[in-house]
Amino acid sequence: MKKDSEDKRPVGVVVVTHTDYGAALLRAAECILGPASHAATISVDVSLPVEQTIDQLRQALKDVDQGAGALIMTDMFGGTPTNLSLSLLGERQVEVITGVNLPMLIKGLSARTLPLAQLAEDAKAAGLSGIVVAGQMLKSRTDKKAAGGERA
Amino acid sequence: MTWVRIDNRLIHGQVIETWLPFTGARTIMVFNDDLAEDEMRQDIMSLAIPNGVDIQFLPLRSASSAWGAKSAKAGAKAAEGGEALILFATCQDARRAYESGLLFDLLNVGNLHFEPGKRQVCPHVALTNEDEGCLDFFTGKGVRLDFRCVPGDPTLVRSYK
Repeated sequence: MKKDSEDKRPVGVVVVTHTDYGAALLRAAECILGPASHAATISVDVSLPVEQTIDQLRQALKDVDQGAGALIMTDMFGGTPTNLSLSLLGERQVEVITGVNLPMLIKGLSARTLPLAQLAEDAKAAGLSGIVVAGQMLKSRTDKKAAGGERA
Repeated sequence: MTWVRIDNRLIHGQVIETWLPFTGARTIMVFNDDLAEDEMRQDIMSLAIPNGVDIQFLPLRSASSAWGAKSAKAGAKAAEGGEALILFATCQDARRAYESGLLFDLLNVGNLHFEPGKRQVCPHVALTNEDEGCLDFFTGKGVRLDFRCVPGDPTLVRSYK
Protein backbone atom coordinates (compact mmCIF):
# COMPACT_ATOMS: atom_id res chain seq x y z
CA MET A 1 0.00 0.00 0.00
CA LYS A 2 2.77 2.38 0.93
CA LYS A 3 4.43 1.85 -2.42
CA ASP A 4 1.24 2.76 -4.26
CA SER A 5 0.87 6.07 -2.53
CA GLU A 6 4.55 6.79 -3.07
CA ASP A 7 4.13 6.16 -6.79
CA LYS A 8 1.30 8.64 -6.93
CA ARG A 9 3.21 11.53 -5.44
CA PRO A 10 3.13 14.42 -7.88
CA VAL A 11 6.22 15.77 -9.57
CA GLY A 12 6.85 19.36 -8.45
CA VAL A 13 6.75 22.12 -11.05
CA VAL A 14 8.76 25.36 -11.00
CA VAL A 15 8.44 27.94 -13.77
CA VAL A 16 11.56 30.09 -14.08
CA THR A 17 11.37 33.11 -16.39
CA HIS A 18 12.61 36.59 -17.17
CA THR A 19 10.50 38.82 -14.86
CA ASP A 20 7.05 37.60 -13.78
CA TYR A 21 5.95 35.90 -17.00
CA GLY A 22 5.97 32.58 -15.13
CA ALA A 23 3.66 33.85 -12.39
CA ALA A 24 1.18 35.16 -14.96
CA LEU A 25 1.38 31.88 -16.88
CA LEU A 26 0.68 29.89 -13.72
CA ARG A 27 -2.35 32.10 -13.00
CA ALA A 28 -3.59 31.43 -16.53
CA ALA A 29 -3.12 27.66 -16.11
CA GLU A 30 -4.95 27.75 -12.76
CA CYS A 31 -7.81 29.60 -14.41
CA ILE A 32 -8.23 26.58 -16.68
CA LEU A 33 -7.34 23.70 -14.34
CA GLY A 34 -8.21 25.08 -10.91
CA PRO A 35 -5.63 25.67 -8.15
CA ALA A 36 -2.31 23.85 -8.56
CA SER A 37 -0.41 22.38 -5.63
CA HIS A 38 3.36 21.96 -5.41
CA ALA A 39 3.94 24.56 -8.11
CA ALA A 40 6.09 27.67 -7.83
CA THR A 41 7.41 30.44 -10.03
CA ILE A 42 10.69 32.32 -9.98
CA SER A 43 11.05 35.75 -11.51
CA VAL A 44 14.61 36.27 -12.63
CA ASP A 45 15.70 39.88 -12.31
CA VAL A 46 19.06 40.12 -14.05
CA SER A 47 20.03 43.15 -11.96
CA LEU A 48 20.07 41.00 -8.81
CA PRO A 49 23.09 38.90 -7.78
CA VAL A 50 22.99 35.47 -9.42
CA GLU A 51 23.50 33.68 -6.09
CA GLN A 52 20.35 35.25 -4.69
CA THR A 53 18.22 33.90 -7.56
CA ILE A 54 19.82 30.47 -7.32
CA ASP A 55 19.02 30.36 -3.60
CA GLN A 56 15.39 31.22 -4.37
CA LEU A 57 15.29 28.48 -6.97
CA ARG A 58 16.86 25.95 -4.58
CA GLN A 59 14.25 26.83 -1.96
CA ALA A 60 11.40 26.55 -4.50
CA LEU A 61 12.59 23.12 -5.62
CA LYS A 62 12.77 22.00 -2.01
CA ASP A 63 9.23 23.27 -1.41
CA VAL A 64 7.61 21.56 -4.42
CA ASP A 65 9.54 18.28 -4.49
CA GLN A 66 7.44 15.58 -2.81
CA GLY A 67 9.97 12.84 -3.48
CA ALA A 68 9.12 12.34 -7.15
CA GLY A 69 11.46 15.09 -8.32
CA ALA A 70 10.72 18.42 -9.93
CA LEU A 71 10.27 19.71 -13.46
CA ILE A 72 11.67 23.17 -14.13
CA MET A 73 10.10 24.99 -17.05
CA THR A 74 12.05 27.96 -18.36
CA ASP A 75 11.08 30.59 -20.90
CA MET A 76 13.96 30.42 -23.40
CA PHE A 77 16.82 28.09 -24.19
CA GLY A 78 20.06 30.03 -23.80
CA GLY A 79 18.58 32.64 -21.47
CA THR A 80 19.66 33.31 -17.88
CA PRO A 81 16.65 31.55 -16.26
CA THR A 82 17.59 28.40 -18.21
CA ASN A 83 21.30 28.68 -17.46
CA LEU A 84 20.66 29.13 -13.74
CA SER A 85 18.26 26.18 -13.72
CA LEU A 86 20.71 23.94 -15.54
CA SER A 87 23.31 24.65 -12.88
CA LEU A 88 21.09 22.77 -10.36
CA LEU A 89 20.67 19.62 -12.48
CA GLY A 90 23.13 17.62 -10.40
CA GLU A 91 21.78 18.62 -6.98
CA ARG A 92 18.50 16.74 -6.92
CA GLN A 93 16.10 14.86 -9.18
CA VAL A 94 15.32 17.62 -11.64
CA GLU A 95 14.60 17.96 -15.36
CA VAL A 96 14.68 21.27 -17.22
CA ILE A 97 12.41 21.96 -20.19
CA THR A 98 12.70 25.22 -22.13
CA GLY A 99 10.26 27.37 -24.11
CA VAL A 100 7.38 27.17 -21.64
CA ASN A 101 3.95 28.03 -22.99
CA LEU A 102 0.43 27.50 -21.66
CA PRO A 103 -0.23 24.08 -23.27
CA MET A 104 3.10 22.82 -21.91
CA LEU A 105 2.38 24.09 -18.40
CA ILE A 106 -1.14 22.65 -18.44
CA LYS A 107 0.23 19.24 -19.44
CA GLY A 108 2.98 19.51 -16.84
CA LEU A 109 0.45 20.26 -14.11
CA SER A 110 -2.19 17.75 -15.10
CA ALA A 111 -0.08 14.62 -15.69
CA ARG A 112 2.18 14.93 -12.67
CA THR A 113 1.93 11.38 -11.42
CA LEU A 114 3.96 10.25 -14.44
CA PRO A 115 7.67 9.60 -13.84
CA LEU A 116 9.69 12.81 -14.22
CA ALA A 117 11.36 11.89 -17.53
CA GLN A 118 8.04 10.86 -19.10
CA LEU A 119 6.31 13.99 -17.81
CA ALA A 120 9.03 16.15 -19.39
CA GLU A 121 8.58 14.38 -22.75
CA ASP A 122 4.79 14.73 -22.65
CA ALA A 123 5.00 18.39 -21.63
CA LYS A 124 7.34 19.05 -24.54
CA ALA A 125 4.97 17.31 -26.98
CA ALA A 126 2.00 19.30 -25.64
CA GLY A 127 3.95 22.55 -25.93
CA LEU A 128 4.91 21.81 -29.52
CA SER A 129 1.49 20.63 -30.64
CA GLY A 130 -0.06 23.73 -29.10
CA ILE A 131 1.67 25.85 -31.72
CA VAL A 132 -0.35 25.95 -34.92
CA VAL A 133 -0.98 28.50 -37.63
CA ALA A 134 -4.70 28.25 -36.98
CA GLY A 135 -5.98 30.01 -40.09
CA GLN A 136 -3.90 27.74 -42.31
CA MET A 137 -5.05 24.62 -40.44
CA LEU A 138 -8.67 25.71 -40.77
CA LYS A 139 -8.23 26.43 -44.48
CA SER A 140 -6.71 23.02 -45.19
CA ARG A 141 -9.60 21.34 -43.36
CA THR A 142 -12.17 23.36 -45.28
CA ASP A 143 -10.40 22.58 -48.58
CA LYS A 144 -10.35 18.87 -47.75
CA LYS A 145 -14.04 18.96 -46.93
CA ALA A 146 -14.82 20.75 -50.22
CA ALA A 147 -12.79 18.17 -52.17
CA GLY A 148 -14.65 15.37 -50.36
CA GLY A 149 -17.96 17.03 -51.25
CA GLU A 150 -17.08 17.12 -54.95
CA ARG A 151 -16.25 13.42 -54.96
CA ALA A 152 -19.51 12.53 -53.27
CA MET B 1 -19.11 8.26 -17.91
CA THR B 2 -21.78 10.36 -19.57
CA TRP B 3 -21.63 13.93 -18.38
CA VAL B 4 -24.16 16.64 -19.13
CA ARG B 5 -22.94 20.22 -18.80
CA ILE B 6 -24.29 23.71 -19.32
CA ASP B 7 -21.53 26.03 -20.48
CA ASN B 8 -22.21 29.21 -22.42
CA ARG B 9 -18.82 28.89 -24.13
CA LEU B 10 -19.47 25.23 -25.07
CA ILE B 11 -16.03 24.00 -26.25
CA HIS B 12 -13.03 25.76 -24.67
CA GLY B 13 -9.89 25.18 -22.61
CA GLN B 14 -11.56 24.04 -19.38
CA VAL B 15 -13.71 21.54 -21.26
CA ILE B 16 -10.87 20.13 -23.35
CA GLU B 17 -8.21 20.09 -20.63
CA THR B 18 -10.26 19.07 -17.60
CA TRP B 19 -13.73 17.64 -18.34
CA LEU B 20 -12.67 15.51 -21.27
CA PRO B 21 -9.96 13.66 -19.26
CA PHE B 22 -12.19 13.60 -16.15
CA THR B 23 -15.08 11.89 -17.94
CA GLY B 24 -12.97 9.77 -20.30
CA ALA B 25 -15.53 10.65 -22.98
CA ARG B 26 -14.65 9.73 -26.56
CA THR B 27 -17.62 11.60 -27.98
CA ILE B 28 -18.66 15.21 -27.49
CA MET B 29 -22.22 16.06 -28.44
CA VAL B 30 -22.94 19.77 -28.68
CA PHE B 31 -26.67 20.48 -28.88
CA ASN B 32 -27.06 24.03 -30.13
CA ASP B 33 -29.31 25.31 -32.90
CA ASP B 34 -27.12 28.23 -34.01
CA LEU B 35 -23.96 26.18 -34.08
CA ALA B 36 -25.58 23.27 -35.91
CA GLU B 37 -26.00 25.61 -38.90
CA ASP B 38 -22.65 27.37 -38.70
CA GLU B 39 -19.91 25.22 -40.26
CA MET B 40 -17.25 27.87 -39.83
CA ARG B 41 -17.71 28.02 -36.04
CA GLN B 42 -17.90 24.22 -35.93
CA ASP B 43 -14.55 23.99 -37.72
CA ILE B 44 -13.00 26.51 -35.34
CA MET B 45 -14.31 24.68 -32.27
CA SER B 46 -13.15 21.32 -33.65
CA LEU B 47 -9.54 22.44 -34.17
CA ALA B 48 -8.41 21.77 -30.62
CA ILE B 49 -10.30 18.52 -30.06
CA PRO B 50 -7.76 15.73 -29.40
CA ASN B 51 -7.34 12.95 -31.95
CA GLY B 52 -9.62 10.02 -31.29
CA VAL B 53 -12.41 12.15 -29.85
CA ASP B 54 -15.48 12.45 -32.02
CA ILE B 55 -17.40 15.72 -31.99
CA GLN B 56 -20.95 16.25 -33.19
CA PHE B 57 -22.86 19.53 -33.55
CA LEU B 58 -26.57 18.84 -33.48
CA PRO B 59 -29.80 20.82 -33.43
CA LEU B 60 -31.87 20.56 -30.25
CA ARG B 61 -34.80 18.91 -31.99
CA SER B 62 -32.57 15.87 -32.62
CA ALA B 63 -31.41 15.58 -28.98
CA SER B 64 -33.46 12.55 -28.09
CA SER B 65 -32.95 10.63 -31.34
CA ALA B 66 -29.22 11.41 -31.56
CA TRP B 67 -28.69 10.31 -27.96
CA GLY B 68 -30.78 7.21 -28.54
CA ALA B 69 -28.70 6.30 -31.61
CA LYS B 70 -25.45 6.91 -29.74
CA SER B 71 -26.57 4.79 -26.76
CA ALA B 72 -27.73 1.96 -29.03
CA LYS B 73 -24.39 1.96 -30.85
CA ALA B 74 -22.50 1.91 -27.54
CA GLY B 75 -24.77 -0.88 -26.31
CA ALA B 76 -23.88 -2.98 -29.35
CA LYS B 77 -20.20 -2.51 -28.58
CA ALA B 78 -20.45 -2.77 -24.84
CA ALA B 79 -16.71 -2.65 -24.29
CA GLU B 80 -16.60 0.88 -25.65
CA GLY B 81 -19.14 2.05 -23.12
CA GLY B 82 -21.49 4.94 -23.63
CA GLU B 83 -19.20 7.71 -22.51
CA ALA B 84 -20.12 11.09 -23.89
CA LEU B 85 -19.79 14.68 -22.91
CA ILE B 86 -23.04 16.46 -23.70
CA LEU B 87 -22.95 20.25 -23.87
CA PHE B 88 -25.68 22.87 -23.83
CA ALA B 89 -25.16 26.65 -23.90
CA THR B 90 -28.19 27.53 -21.77
CA CYS B 91 -30.48 26.10 -19.06
CA GLN B 92 -33.38 26.43 -21.49
CA ASP B 93 -31.65 24.28 -24.13
CA ALA B 94 -30.91 21.60 -21.54
CA ARG B 95 -34.55 21.66 -20.48
CA ARG B 96 -35.81 21.37 -24.08
CA ALA B 97 -33.57 18.34 -24.62
CA TYR B 98 -34.68 16.74 -21.34
CA GLU B 99 -38.35 17.30 -22.12
CA SER B 100 -37.88 15.77 -25.56
CA GLY B 101 -36.48 12.59 -23.99
CA LEU B 102 -32.74 13.05 -23.41
CA LEU B 103 -32.87 12.09 -19.74
CA PHE B 104 -30.07 12.42 -17.20
CA ASP B 105 -29.79 12.44 -13.38
CA LEU B 106 -26.97 14.91 -12.94
CA LEU B 107 -26.55 18.31 -14.54
CA ASN B 108 -23.25 20.17 -14.32
CA VAL B 109 -23.90 23.92 -14.37
CA GLY B 110 -20.45 25.04 -15.45
CA ASN B 111 -20.29 28.51 -16.94
CA LEU B 112 -23.16 30.96 -17.20
CA HIS B 113 -21.53 34.33 -17.23
CA PHE B 114 -22.78 37.47 -15.63
CA GLU B 115 -24.83 39.97 -17.59
CA PRO B 116 -26.84 42.92 -16.27
CA GLY B 117 -30.07 41.64 -14.76
CA LYS B 118 -28.58 38.30 -13.71
CA ARG B 119 -27.92 37.22 -10.15
CA GLN B 120 -24.44 35.89 -9.41
CA VAL B 121 -24.69 32.60 -7.47
CA CYS B 122 -21.01 31.64 -7.62
CA PRO B 123 -17.97 33.05 -9.46
CA HIS B 124 -18.78 31.34 -12.76
CA VAL B 125 -22.57 31.18 -12.66
CA ALA B 126 -25.10 34.00 -12.86
CA LEU B 127 -28.82 33.29 -13.28
CA THR B 128 -31.88 35.07 -14.65
CA ASN B 129 -35.29 34.34 -13.14
CA GLU B 130 -35.96 32.13 -16.15
CA ASP B 131 -32.74 30.18 -15.47
CA GLU B 132 -33.81 29.68 -11.87
CA GLY B 133 -37.19 28.38 -13.01
CA CYS B 134 -35.37 26.02 -15.32
CA LEU B 135 -33.12 24.68 -12.54
CA ASP B 136 -36.25 24.31 -10.35
CA PHE B 137 -37.70 22.19 -13.12
CA PHE B 138 -34.66 19.91 -13.01
CA THR B 139 -34.58 19.56 -9.23
CA GLY B 140 -38.31 18.82 -9.40
CA LYS B 141 -37.48 15.93 -11.74
CA GLY B 142 -34.90 14.62 -9.29
CA VAL B 143 -31.91 15.79 -11.34
CA ARG B 144 -28.96 16.64 -9.12
CA LEU B 145 -27.23 19.94 -9.86
CA ASP B 146 -23.44 20.18 -9.76
CA PHE B 147 -22.04 23.72 -9.91
CA ARG B 148 -18.42 22.82 -10.58
CA CYS B 149 -16.56 24.98 -13.09
CA VAL B 150 -13.67 22.48 -13.28
CA PRO B 151 -13.50 18.94 -11.80
CA GLY B 152 -11.06 20.02 -9.08
CA ASP B 153 -13.61 22.40 -7.53
CA PRO B 154 -15.25 21.22 -4.30
CA THR B 155 -17.81 18.57 -5.19
CA LEU B 156 -20.32 20.10 -2.84
CA VAL B 157 -23.31 21.08 -4.91
CA ARG B 158 -23.97 24.74 -4.27
CA SER B 159 -27.43 26.06 -3.79
CA TYR B 160 -28.65 28.59 -6.32
CA LYS B 161 -31.39 29.95 -4.12
